[in-house]
Amino acid sequence: MSKQRYDQLIADLRADFRPQREWGEGRGLFLVIGHFFVGIAGGTWLMGTIYDVPFALVIAFLLGCLGGLAHLLFLGRPERAFGMVRHWRTSWISRGFYGLSLFLVGGVLYLPTQFFPLSGLWTVIGQLGAVLAMLGTVTIIGYMGFAYTASKGIPFWNSPLHPALYIAYAFRGGIAVLLIVAATSGTTAADDGLLKLWIGVTAIVAVFFALELQGALAGGNIAARRSVREILAGRGALIFYGGTLVVGLIVPVLLLSMAMATSPTAMALIGLASAAGDFFMKLSTVKAGIHIPLVPPPRRQRA
Amino acid sequence: MRLGMVIDLKRCIACYGCQMSCKAEHGTPLGVFFGRVIKSEEGNYPTARQVFLPVLCNHCDDAPCVNVCPTGASYYAEHGIVDIDQDKCVGCRSCMMACPYGNRYFNAESSNYFGDAGPTPYETARSEYHTEGVVMKCNFCRERLAEGKLPACVANCAAKARTFGDLDDPNSTVSRLIKERGGYTLHPELGTGPNVYYLAP
Repeated sequence: MSKQRYDQLIADLRADFRPQREWGEGRGLFLVIGHFFVGIAGGTWLMGTIYDVPFALVIAFLLGCLGGLAHLLFLGRPERAFGMVRHWRTSWISRGFYGLSLFLVGGVLYLPTQFFPLSGLWTVIGQLGAVLAMLGTVTIIGYMGFAYTASKGIPFWNSPLHPALYIAYAFRGGIAVLLIVAATSGTTAADDGLLKLWIGVTAIVAVFFALELQGALAGGNIAARRSVREILAGRGALIFYGGTLVVGLIVPVLLLSMAMATSPTAMALIGLASAAGDFFMKLSTVKAGIHIPLVPPPRRQRA
Repeated sequence: MRLGMVIDLKRCIACYGCQMSCKAEHGTPLGVFFGRVIKSEEGNYPTARQVFLPVLCNHCDDAPCVNVCPTGASYYAEHGIVDIDQDKCVGCRSCMMACPYGNRYFNAESSNYFGDAGPTPYETARSEYHTEGVVMKCNFCRERLAEGKLPACVANCAAKARTFGDLDDPNSTVSRLIKERGGYTLHPELGTGPNVYYLAP
């Protein structure tokens, strides 16, 4: 351990508001990257299925692989990852492990049927793969938010809105990837509908995010309020304003407002900016995590 | 039997004896403190005063860290002690986020206190008990309890501020102290059922 890291750890332990640094800093950054890829993979698979875009399913599968890899790189002992199958009854991390496994296995079984003229038993296997992948999709879209909500030590994350926010972000990510796929493949059939859907989901995401901040400020404890301050004016501020707001919201909205919004280049840029904004949103909320202070108890307070 | 601890804040003089004895007992790596003392000030001059709060794992009855652990590495051992199986832990650190008391530490890499001079023989001997890439925490000195000894922080408290015993036994010293002096836990509103109680200063 470097002296700088040790000094920081000691300073954190002495601080009134102790920031969490295990998720989102150093090797912990891989967790945020993993959540970003896995969330966007789930959203892309779902949107690709709805809009029947097989190429988007391939992208979703690859993103899921990258997400899984990032999760492994985050773990302190990745060689023991299969041990995470044990505690699915109470652990959202374990459920996420199942979800991603189902998603990847289902993808391997289903995707060949989309590109090769297979028949007979292969069709059945493909259908089984589709079911597994969809089960995995639903799980991976949902598990991340719940994993944060289960974190009792970080009051800002311990909010019922967090899962809804992550689910909405997964949808937004899926639409973003579909926009990029549509732009690069020259498909324009559903472009207009996709853009309108993007606007609608983005509005929902913005409302959820605002409600979460408002909820933390109005009904949260001092650590939750401090987390909001960290996002708006602390160590997550640059990421929030520059990444989440400017890159993830203002740039796509400006592109949308331009007359050439449905041009392939503009659509691809909207998709890229939107996806990047999603990543920065996740990073800023993770970095804003503050542990509940262990305030000295008042005199003669009874249990 | 449900083991628990009572810390009398009136007796605590913040000598850090508990923190140091814990470190000596477990040989914890750099930056890992199973038990530590938080010092803070309250009030304003001329009525300002220092407040000391020794903290450690609360060995909760409904421990959030056990619930979120994906591998079952965090588990309830005998007599309500919450411990970590270092051979099962994958180092996902979800327990650290779940613990409302912030008393879990991630042992990212082996390290020593004297840098380039290398580990002392003591550190070398002790570090073999600690696995890298896993989370660590206080276990009420289970190995000492098995030998009939008290936890190191209790045995070495110079001010006798710490009492250890069976919370299920209404006649035990810990139960009596909690009842007579109004023992309270940290963040009872979270419903974790901590088994470390404090007596007001």
